[in-house]
Amino acid sequence: MISLTSPVRTRAHRWPAGAKLAALAVATFVLFLVQDLLVLAVALGMTLGAYALPGGRFFRAGIVRLKVLWPFLAILGVWHIATATYAEGAEIILRLLTTVGLANLVTMTTALSEMITVIRWLATPLRRIGLNSRAMELAIALVIRILPKLIDNGQRLSDAWRARSPRRPGWRVVVPFTLLALDDADHLAEALRARGGFLEHTEN
Amino acid sequence: MTSQIEIQDLDFAVEGKQILHKINLSLAERRVGVVGRNGSGKSTLARLVSGLVAPTAGTVQVNGHNLAKDRRAALSEVGILFQNPEHQIIFPTVGEEIAFGLEQQGLGKAEAEGKMREVLTQFGLAHWHEAYVATLSQGQKHLVTLMSVVAMQPKLLVLDEPFAGLDIPTKAQLNRYLRLYHGSLLHITHDPTDLESYDTLVWIDQGRIQLAGPQGQVMGAYLEAMHSEGETDDLAHLTG
Ligand SMILES: Nc1ncnc2c1ncn2[C@@H]1O[C@H](COP(=O)(O)OP(=O)(O)OP(=O)(O)O)[C@@H](O)[C@H]1O
Ligand SMILES: [Mg+2]
Repeated sequence: MISLTSPVRTRAHRWPAGAKLAALAVATFVLFLVQDLLVLAVALGMTLGAYALPGGRFFRAGIVRLKVLWPFLAILGVWHIATATYAEGAEIILRLLTTVGLANLVTMTTALSEMITVIRWLATPLRRIGLNSRAMELAIALVIRILPKLIDNGQRLSDAWRARSPRRPGWRVVVPFTLLALDDADHLAEALRARGGFLEHTEN
Repeated sequence: MTSQIEIQDLDFAVEGKQILHKINLSLAERRVGVVGRNGSGKSTLARLVSGLVAPTAGTVQVNGHNLAKDRRAALSEVGILFQNPEHQIIFPTVGEEIAFGLEQQGLGKAEAEGKMREVLTQFGLAHWHEAYVATLSQGQKHLVTLMSVVAMQPKLLVLDEPFAGLDIPTKAQLNRYLRLYHGSLLHITHDPTDLESYDTLVWIDQGRIQLAGPQGQVMGAYLEAMHSEGETDDLAHLTG
């Protein structure tokens, strides 16, 4: 059950979730406007610098979480080398690393319950017209919650495989992985039901 | 405060496979134990009593409520401790996990937070507030699920092997706590000593009530049967 959470408490944990998300939105938007490779490289450098601020443990945890991007980066790299569009490739890779890096930074330093509060605030107009926004709030929170769990499942399956096989786990873990994911979704749904599910309460 | 559990002609099947057969139970004691072999249907009964699933046939009522339908009532009537804490915990930090149920009961954010801290303090674990569940041991996760459910103060606590994997002092501490719990307990366990002070026992075997009645009588018969079954080798049989 690894979540996108930080191994240490940082000062950013205390900043309001709404402000962090707004800053993330602005930064991402700006990064998509910038095309200058130097500026993008500096932005990536600053992002990595931000990871280093809370210390080595936080930095390492953050980098591990960025590593899941490597297959995408590899595909992009191969494509842009094959088409000889090096500058564009570098631009896209730098931008991807920086935006995902920043987004992870926000997720790692924000409690899930605070995320829900922000989503709830964003959904105020929906409640005005009488829709139940609780379902949406929890659904979004649960997606944030279950993604790392899926990565964890993959890890555990390959551990279980390696404990009994000298060879690397291959495509044969795909089916158990899928079943495990469905099973997890079932359990999460039941846990939610045990505590009231999507009940909408009066404004408080 | 004593809860009334009424089960009438209950059948339960999953995908055509019948798991519980014609269960009839009327329980009004404060401390009820449930025993039975692995796969006999204890957890399934727990989920039915808590209203997490509805019976295929028959009815389950707790204090007059049909909890499978009325989830709002269920929040104050019954709290369930799943057999596997991993399946119960939704949130990444201990504090959020405990506060969630309280918010679901309609408490405001600040109130829920206050009560969450109260419960943690009561268990002497105030420092767990920001701990990540992923970093806790299995036994510690059990404790988190117990605190989350107890915080909601349900009238009936359904415990599905709550002590599996706990060390002796922790178990003793939880037992002491449960003895003081003001509501009723429906406690599933494989350890007879957990149920010594209980009023009533229900013994389930292969999806049927084998015996229900006073603690001493049922436990005696159960243990006798278990010891004689232990002599034979029937692990290979899967009920189906
Ligand atoms: N989702 C399911 N699909 C099919 N069969 C199930 C399902 N859940 C439980 N069963 C079957 O129902 C029976 C009772 O299961 P249950 O989990 O209630 O047993 P239990 O008494 O709690 O066992 P244990 O002591 O091992 O926890 C078992 O034979 C099991 O195989
Ligand atoms: Mg069970």
